[in-house]
Amino acid sequence: MLRFIQKLTVAIVLRVVHAALIELMQLDSRAKQEFERLPEDMSYAIATGHGAPTLFVRWRGGKLERLASLDNAVCTLAVKSLPLSFQLFTGQMGLAQAYARHAFTLKGDVADVMKLARLVNLTESYLFPPFITRHILTDIPRLEVNPLRVYGRIACGFLCNRYKLTH
Amino acid sequence: MNPPYFEFLNSVKLLCGELALERIAAELRHLGAQKPLLLSDAVLAKIGTLKQVADAMEAEGCPAAHVFTDIPVDSSLAVVNEIAALYREHGCDSLVAVGGGSVIDTAKGVRLVLSQDSDDILAICGVENLPPGIRVPFLVVPTTAGTGSECTGVAVIRNDKSGVKMEILSPYVQPDVAVIDPRMTLGLPPKATASTGMDALCHAIEAMTCLQANPLSTAYATAAIRLIAANIVTATKNGGNKEARFAMALGSTMAGIAFSNSMVGAVHAIGHALGGVCHVPHAVAMTVLLPHVMDYNLDRCKADYAALLPLLVGEEKALETPAPKRAKAAAEAVRALGRQLNEICGLPLSLHAAGVANKLDFDRVAEVAVNDGALIVNPRAATEAEVKEILNAAF
Repeated sequence: MLRFIQKLTVAIVLRVVHAALIELMQLDSRAKQEFERLPEDMSYAIATGHGAPTLFVRWRGGKLERLASLDNAVCTLAVKSLPLSFQLFTGQMGLAQAYARHAFTLKGDVADVMKLARLVNLTESYLFPPFITRHILTDIPRLEVNPLRVYGRIACGFLCNRYKLTH
Repeated sequence: MNPPYFEFLNSVKLLCGELALERIAAELRHLGAQKPLLLSDAVLAKIGTLKQVADAMEAEGCPAAHVFTDIPVDSSLAVVNEIAALYREHGCDSLVAVGGGSVIDTAKGVRLVLSQDSDDILAICGVENLPPGIRVPFLVVPTTAGTGSECTGVAVIRNDKSGVKMEILSPYVQPDVAVIDPRMTLGLPPKATASTGMDALCHAIEAMTCLQANPLSTAYATAAIRLIAANIVTATKNGGNKEARFAMALGSTMAGIAFSNSMVGAVHAIGHALGGVCHVPHAVAMTVLLPHVMDYNLDRCKADYAALLPLLVGEEKALETPAPKRAKAAAEAVRALGRQLNEICGLPLSLHAAGVANKLDFDRVAEVAVNDGALIVNPRAATEAEVKEILNAAF
């Protein structure tokens, strides 16, 4: 039962993170700059443990597409277990802490993970309250917009089916 | 405070001290190897250091099957692939690397390519993502007391296409055997002794203060700092002092074990970028950047830096410093050590003195530095603007 709850939570947070990245591309100048610097067709796979969900995203044509699967992601980050993913995606452990604790393996260039890490850190600073981000982020980025605005846009995005899979 | 979780690995057998070189052949035989590919660089071939190793191997019945000495200072992925092809062409069954960081890291890359039965290191790079693969016996003989690469699970190799130094992290890049023979560093010139020694000091300080530090890596780091601080000036002034040379070699190895298990930080992130973009030699970049990055990290590392002070200047002097001032005094002690070495051998203390003509490339250096894996465990998440501030201060 616990594993089912963890899987479900991780799956929901992955969807929200993807949505937040899309919204922050519009709302935060640093996120916009990070995306603009990504090469066309840059792709990430984030696997969250055995039998647990994987997020596949690809940067193409100025959009962050979510894909059902991707055979050869440029960069694959595989968290070593579902409980570790649960900690990572529920604000109990930051990406830097996950790295320090050998919580994931990586296939690809470390530099590509650093780009993703900055985007995820920025996303977390909007999605989590400061009492959480203080524990999981080395430095808390200055917020350029009110987090409620980000949450509002994400809610609208889900209602309008803006984050659907790209085929 | 102990971290909630940590890992520690050092699988390297260390042969340390007198006549260590003469044991290489026996170690190779023990590992089932008979046809080693001997790797080094042109300078070591020219000054006879490589010959010392090759002769010791031959005299004990295990001559090199082939020798490659064209590894450049900033080796590249292409060189790794070229050597892997040579290994197969000559039917070799093991690797012996004689050199500094570039030679050893190149050999690590070659070992990874061979063990994964690949042709291209770019296709297999990553972090802890590979299985052990095919067994390729691998010995290293460091000729500087600085990189600690003989004991680390990381290889830093330049990507020609992007001009960026790439990090490849795997427990399987660690050699089977490292040979720490003081004869190998006796001929090292004073400036190289000083800069590589400061590189080792930097490894230990960053290993002790980064987010991945753990009790075991800190034990190695503190021991390394004591040895290096006590011997770097003597080894620089009097290169023939075998005791100081041996202490520096051990300090460097221990610093390598420390940072292999706790990573480094912003000094290395910026240093790698400076090497890739401005071609500043790694050890010189570390020397120049270390005190500036210590200033930058000071607020987050007060307790750790305060603990560094007695290791750097001795217990008595440290106790004379009021407790609240010890952290800053540690950064000052590193600066003072740099100045002392500068007076002895002209060790560069600024980027300008290290050959960086102007600040035009700093934007690119900062952009590359924030994408370097070493930055992820730095106590502060440096932005590009902050990296540029550090570079400007170090100029």
